[in-house]
Amino acid sequence: MSWVKEGELSFWERFCANIIKAGPMPKHIAFIMDGNRRYAKKCQVERQEGHSQGFNKLAETLRWCLNLGILEVTVYAFSIENFKRSKSEVDGLMDLAREKFSRLMEEQCFLNICFAYTSRHEISNAVREMAWGVEQGLLDPSDVSESLLDKCLYTNHSPHPDILIRTSGEVRLSDFLLWQTSHSCLVFQPVLWPEYTFWNLCEAILQFQMNHSMLQKARDVYAEERKRQQLERDQAAVTEQLLQEGLPASGDPQLRRTRLHKLSARREERVQGFLQALELKRADWLAHLGTAST
Amino acid sequence: MTGLYELVWRVLHALLCLHRTLTSWLRVRFGTWNWIWRRCCRAASAAVLAPLGFTLRKPPAVGRNRRHHRHPRAGPAPAAAHRRLRWRADGRSLEKLPVHMGLVITEEEQEPSFSDIASLVVWCMAVGISYISVYDHQVLNCQSSVKVLSPEDGKADIVRAAQDFCQLVAQQQKKSTDLDVDMLDSLLSSNGFPDPDLVLKFGPVDSTLGFLPWHIRLTEIISLPSHLNISYEDFFSALRQYAACEQRLGK
Repeated sequence: MSWVKEGELSFWERFCANIIKAGPMPKHIAFIMDGNRRYAKKCQVERQEGHSQGFNKLAETLRWCLNLGILEVTVYAFSIENFKRSKSEVDGLMDLAREKFSRLMEEQCFLNICFAYTSRHEISNAVREMAWGVEQGLLDPSDVSESLLDKCLYTNHSPHPDILIRTSGEVRLSDFLLWQTSHSCLVFQPVLWPEYTFWNLCEAILQFQMNHSMLQKARDVYAEERKRQQLERDQAAVTEQLLQEGLPASGDPQLRRTRLHKLSARREERVQGFLQALELKRADWLAHLGTAST
Repeated sequence: MTGLYELVWRVLHALLCLHRTLTSWLRVRFGTWNWIWRRCCRAASAAVLAPLGFTLRKPPAVGRNRRHHRHPRAGPAPAAAHRRLRWRADGRSLEKLPVHMGLVITEEEQEPSFSDIASLVVWCMAVGISYISVYDHQVLNCQSSVKVLSPEDGKADIVRAAQDFCQLVAQQQKKSTDLDVDMLDSLLSSNGFPDPDLVLKFGPVDSTLGFLPWHIRLTEIISLPSHLNISYEDFFSALRQYAACEQRLGK
């Protein structure tokens, strides 16, 4: 039986889903599932029950996302900061995670679970990997760029989230996907996570649709500027190269073009070599983890 | 059938856009809803209570109203000093104040209103906020003497710090495993400046648009519709909201 809740949408849910789907749809949503403990207090049950309800709500939300054609979801299940909680609560969360997530392999969508995660650790790790690349002679320090850092994050196989939804009324990011959500639509909703409804999800998507063209424009302007700056840096590097060879800096434009092309092609080669080596390193590490636990 | 759904979506979208434009226009034209609401309430109360022979007690002139309110005898100087004292007292009355406040402007239809931004900066200083950053995502390279931030201070600065570290590694002055969160933090150009506790985001765009991604991990993000004709009331109500929020820091 599927862990992601079986079941189709009701008539009205399907009707509204069809209307919403006429507009631009997100491909990837990130959730900060906040409010389990406040829900437990409100319903006068144990915290563990609040977390359990939270997991059930996650299953339900994944089903809604699938029905709406949203095939990738990232959730903040457990932060490194959450280890500060009581041992019983931490153990309870770990047990719950083990029970629920082991059944996920059967599903038809991508669910990324951030567990024992903070964004700053993720970004630092990405920088460390690039430094490792330099140590191994695979990269030049000048190859370090925004797009390369992107490819070194844990989320490198996913597009950036289109929407980040945080429930329970808090209006902060709490060290979650800080790099990846810089140009995402941020939706803060006051509802507690275990009480999240299909209508809350529709509201979030509508907000995304209202922001869509403005965000797209901002992203394009930003990308253009990054490209322009990279070109400027490359031009400067070619000028230095020519000067070192005793050639005039502003001489033959054809020569400049060839040198520019060579420069970026060589960089691309180094980057690809490094990324392949990184994949292998990670695969080895995962395999090692797998054998260590048996 | 798909055509019908698309039509309904277009109508819905148009209504939402119209609502947003109308609210924004009314706000700019007549000030905050809060102010309009208060005026309507007073007018309504006056209309209802007047026949009963009650006269409304004049409410204390605050914020926007103060500008229109003529002081009977005192000149401008005592009024200005009175305002500053009042702002300082307001700051002290809150349970907590942000140490570093970020102002993020997402409106792009018109040029940012420097006088409104200046008002906000003055109110921040008057209320007791020590560090203020102003961010405009369209400013590509900032060379002002006031600390105005641009996307260069965000991801680009993290990349620069990463390059610097990789340079040290290439020169064998450091090992790749030496890099952790604290070291990367110290390599950023913001070193010494505290992380923003609060960001006031102005405009219709629900995004930080690249504002200091590394530094906003615990920042409260409060949205206000516009920075144009912003009133002290709006500014202070955001501070009150900040003071009331509870940071559990993972616990």
